[in-house]
Amino acid sequence: MQMLIQFENVIKTYGAVTALDNLSVTIPTGAVGLLGPNGSGKTTMIRTLLGLIPVDKGSGTVLGMDFRRRQLDIRRVVGFAPEDECLFPHVVGIEFVAYAGELVGMSRKDAMQRAHEVLDYVGLGEARYRIVESYSTGMKQRLKLASAIVHDPQLLILDEPTNGMDPAGRVEILELSRDLAHNKGMSLLFSSHLLPDVEAVCEYVVVLGNGKLLAEGKIQELKSVHDQCFEVRLKADMAPFAQRLTEIGWSAEMQDDVLRVRIPEGQSPQTLWQVAADEQQQIRYLRPQRSTLEEVFLKAVE
Amino acid sequence: MPIFDQGYQHWSGSLSGHAWRWFAITRHGMRVGVRAGKAGRSLRIFLLISWLPALGLAGVLCLWGLLERNSEWAKFLGPMLEFLGPAVVADPTHYRVDVWTLCYHYFLRTELTLSMILVLLVGPNLISQDLRYNALPLYFSRPLRRIDYFAGKLGVIVGFLGMVIIVPSLIAYALGLLFSLDITILRDTLHLLIASVMYGLVIAVSAGLLMLALSTMSRNSRYISLLWLAVWVGSGMVSHVLEQTNVQQQQMRQAWRASQGMPAEEFFSEQLEAAKSNWRPLVSYTANLSRIGQELLGTDAVWLRLSELQTGPQRGLFLLQLMGPQYPWYWSAAVVTGLLVFSACILNFRIKSLDRLK
Repeated sequence: MQMLIQFENVIKTYGAVTALDNLSVTIPTGAVGLLGPNGSGKTTMIRTLLGLIPVDKGSGTVLGMDFRRRQLDIRRVVGFAPEDECLFPHVVGIEFVAYAGELVGMSRKDAMQRAHEVLDYVGLGEARYRIVESYSTGMKQRLKLASAIVHDPQLLILDEPTNGMDPAGRVEILELSRDLAHNKGMSLLFSSHLLPDVEAVCEYVVVLGNGKLLAEGKIQELKSVHDQCFEVRLKADMAPFAQRLTEIGWSAEMQDDVLRVRIPEGQSPQTLWQVAADEQQQIRYLRPQRSTLEEVFLKAVE
Repeated sequence: MPIFDQGYQHWSGSLSGHAWRWFAITRHGMRVGVRAGKAGRSLRIFLLISWLPALGLAGVLCLWGLLERNSEWAKFLGPMLEFLGPAVVADPTHYRVDVWTLCYHYFLRTELTLSMILVLLVGPNLISQDLRYNALPLYFSRPLRRIDYFAGKLGVIVGFLGMVIIVPSLIAYALGLLFSLDITILRDTLHLLIASVMYGLVIAVSAGLLMLALSTMSRNSRYISLLWLAVWVGSGMVSHVLEQTNVQQQQMRQAWRASQGMPAEEFFSEQLEAAKSNWRPLVSYTANLSRIGQELLGTDAVWLRLSELQTGPQRGLFLLQLMGPQYPWYWSAAVVTGLLVFSACILNFRIKSLDRLK
């Protein structure tokens, strides 16, 4: 199986600040979330793998190409949408995307044709002849996405793509990202500090903190099942039921409309049914508790 | 199930090699420059104005061709050339190289001034707007090096200046050749064609690189325009003031010598000798470019040849009035080279890779 990205003992410093601290990571193809708090090294990692900045030490590959020697080859097969608002000024949308294609090496004719296609795809077809400075924030994000995929890259890198977007725009970007990664066979590196966004798009996650790898793996595997913890919903009021469980020595905690129950060692969840029958309550929902991605993330960065 | 999926389609075309990637930036820059709103309209109008001197050049070269062939069409040209001496009109073929040289000299001198205005119209936006709209990450995250970016931006200025200097020079040369119907023109004047192309490139690369360097200094293109005016007009004014101070001193000296009854020829020859070490034009950016042009075209030699047609003190006066600065041309070449290096250093310092960008 070809690896998407491999880093081996990569160190990158900016003066006294160590942005990547002996980072070693292997990321498989597919939709990968790059998580980390601000200043954790996500953007530095992206710039490193694009060959935009030299590293102090270490080596690595992107799609099998050495990022220290084959930067231009890597950038030919990678599409990148930067975090900041950035525009080619004084052009209309279609020119913007076509120009992005020409800079990668597409012919003018191909770039124009392809620009029309990708603008339709990202939902900017109606705005293609509008000057880009007049676009809204959401439109600019979609424009960046269109210009990143105009040359049909093998790997798409989105750096904080939902920053500053309204909920509807955010959902659109997430749907587009998910569609590209899951239905169009494009590998995706999705950098964000918004956990729901990463969870909505990616199946694999890499967590960075202070330039170090804190956790990595498939999201479903990281969200481990807790055998002794259950989430319970009842038909009626949950407070008396929780009170009853506490009386028999169990831990029961109300969270929104869910009762989180921790069963002591050696006891069976069958007791829950017994207690419910005693209290004349009807259990509507019962399942083992899983860690949320937020818990995984918080545990990793602790 | 959709009959035709209008969603994302894969693209199977091929990407070009890396060598001409800068050209995409040049092409885009020229397209945007000509198209963009009021500024684009001003630029288009100015381009048309800049081609007017080329019409003059082509017209004179064609008429000279007709004059060489004793055509009735060109008889009216004779009286206009009397200031060069009757011998020139009497034997136009003999003075072909001199006249062609002077035609190119005046054409390129005019275009030098127009080029400065053209650079003012085209250049300030080139990098400053990329900085303002944070476009550098979009460039450098694609398979481009900084040198490609600079070459592409420089290409925009070189392209526009080439359109008003080099292309008209070539067309005028071809027309002059066609109207003379004499293949020996190629032998006599080919060096002029090469010199005008080289001079055009010197102006374009020098002014282009300098403007690019200035364009990195601010995100507001108005300030860049002011900086350019300071370099072009400001340096010219300082040079002019220095020159005028010198001229006044010379005039006072001449008046004193005249009162002493000393011959004018001696004064003129002294002045010509002094002009060889007159450094004041070096202060002016355009005067330096002009001096390099003089050397490339060989204008000084032409004036000296034509001065032999003059007699007595007229010869000295003729040379003093018509010859440009006489200091060694390599002084100007050094100044222009220094500016090129300075511009390259500023570009290198101001436009870093994404390492230094926010």
